[in-house]
Amino acid sequence: MKLGIISVAHMHAYSYANAVAKLDGVQLVGVADEDEVRGKAAAETFGVPFFSDYHELLATDIDAVIVTSENAKHQEHTLASAKAGKHILCEKPLATTAEAAQEMIDFCREQGVILQTAFPVRFHPAVVRAKQLVEQGKVGRIMAIRGTNRGQNPGGWFVDPEKSGGGAVIDHTVHVVDLMRWFMDSEVREVYAEVDSKFSDTPIDDCGILTMEFENGVFATLDCSWSRNKAFPTWGDVTMEIIGTEGTISLDAFSQKLDVYSNEKGLKWVNWGDDMDSQLVKDFVTSVREKKAPSITGEDGLRAVEVALAAYQSAEQKQPVVLR
Amino acid sequence: MHHVLVIGAGTMGTVHAKSYAAMENVKLVGIVDIRSERGKELAAETKTEWFESYEEAMEKLAQVDIIDVCLPTYLHKTYVKRAADAGKHVICEKPLARDKEEARFIVDYCREQNVKLFVGHVLRFFPEYEKSRQLVNDGAIGNVGVARTFRGGIFPTAWNDWYADYKNSGSLVLDMIIHDFDFLRWCFGDVERVYAKGLLGRGFARMDYALVTLRFKNGMIAHVEGSWAHEGFAMKMELAGKEGIIAYDSSKEKPLVAVNRSKQAGMSGVAVPESPLRENPYFRELKHFIECIDRDLEPLVTAEDAVKAVEIARAALVSIETGKPVTLV
Repeated sequence: MKLGIISVAHMHAYSYANAVAKLDGVQLVGVADEDEVRGKAAAETFGVPFFSDYHELLATDIDAVIVTSENAKHQEHTLASAKAGKHILCEKPLATTAEAAQEMIDFCREQGVILQTAFPVRFHPAVVRAKQLVEQGKVGRIMAIRGTNRGQNPGGWFVDPEKSGGGAVIDHTVHVVDLMRWFMDSEVREVYAEVDSKFSDTPIDDCGILTMEFENGVFATLDCSWSRNKAFPTWGDVTMEIIGTEGTISLDAFSQKLDVYSNEKGLKWVNWGDDMDSQLVKDFVTSVREKKAPSITGEDGLRAVEVALAAYQSAEQKQPVVLR
Repeated sequence: MHHVLVIGAGTMGTVHAKSYAAMENVKLVGIVDIRSERGKELAAETKTEWFESYEEAMEKLAQVDIIDVCLPTYLHKTYVKRAADAGKHVICEKPLARDKEEARFIVDYCREQNVKLFVGHVLRFFPEYEKSRQLVNDGAIGNVGVARTFRGGIFPTAWNDWYADYKNSGSLVLDMIIHDFDFLRWCFGDVERVYAKGLLGRGFARMDYALVTLRFKNGMIAHVEGSWAHEGFAMKMELAGKEGIIAYDSSKEKPLVAVNRSKQAGMSGVAVPESPLRENPYFRELKHFIECIDRDLEPLVTAEDAVKAVEIARAALVSIETGKPVTLV
């Protein structure tokens, strides 16, 4: 199987490329990027040809692409890839508007290609285990969930709304909302959010607390803030606490770590857990190979984006927003 | 010498009575509790007398200067009023009352009767919280953008199971995370808007859990979590500022852990963690209140602060009931 990467704007392109390199029978054949410096550097690192025009990459005999462009370009890149008959693994958030996401989903279906949203956290062994425990009824009936997906301000295009579609809220809402939906097989009915810009020098939303009501009667909150500073031991966190009638589950995806105290950097956490990104890529490749439905769909990506967009609307109106 | 009468021999009454018993300038003159066994037990432990009723105590005791009300919340108004009528200074457990109007009444009444009123928002006397506030004020982490707190444990059991009656206790929002509301207000000023979700009204018996979002007038966002659905008590706090983060988690700070080796093979022993201080926060709080009476000082936490804390908690409860944000005026 042959794969291409469209844009390395998102740093995950690197870990996905590494994952591809480790898989048998899969070959990365090219990197396309409109930014020649950035794209050439990546192509050189991966040891593959560089394409300044992604259409040329799509014109080759590749089977699938990984879209890791700026959020606002996911739509264009996905539609073009689908038109060329290539299967797509698209970085999250799937799109910056619900309409764009819907168009991507519809067109991929029409073209008969797979559209998978990149939610690697679903492949974290502790997350997989937590879902198992929930399904086995270990905590009884879920009553509430408290989540965090905080991070450092990534800077660059992430803080340019034209390219990113927004700041912390669109960047860090989707992962944990996806997990909540996945764990409970239920959709978000209503969203309330307080959103602000408190940590950055650029005027972009960098903190937010979302409160959600799910269709199954569970309520949840999510802290999506870019509130981790330089001195914090790692770039961010993914945590969930599930409150059930029979018990609780605390999940901390970054807790398989060493405390490293260096004179240069102070305390830093070095992770020794399994690599989630490689499992995501492996899963996508398997779906393409076996021509089966992706494990994480475009709809999954859209549902998560909807919540982030509703959070912006709620913060603006200072009222809860009803999704369904 | 201050003569203190403690009303209520429950969890807080016990802690308060023991604190007074250890103070040099205080004489614990009695414990009032309708439960004779519990009342006698605590009285014996703190070397004082037990009385079955407030009236009996006031009739028999030669001197009472301060009345400490450690009763269920719904009884605060009645007993604070009686104490004020008798011209005694009052120390009252938090929450001051079930709603803002009741709290307002209590504060105004004490003022009119010219007695001092202190409310036990003890979190302000926990050194870890006090130190955090000091660090924020010193600019150690810059302007705080997001604050998160947690407070919780198992569902409390008490006399008459009064915590389980929402009308009497106001649920954990009014009873427990009011500590965090008061602490955050102490650090960051008044709250503008409150939005909350909780288990109240969702049909889960003897279980409570609430997630409250506060927007402060200074723009800060706070996430306050309260639980009576966890095992083992813990409190946590994280203040994320532009220049740094302050984090505290009581379940991780264990300067001392004593473990009893299990007698049975294959069974684990019970670990009992402690975080001892020369003076515990309750002792410091009550000592401070006594000093305020002695020297006619403004306390670290005023009765007005206690009214504001009730107001925030009540707004959270309204938000839980209506599903809408509540703006404070």
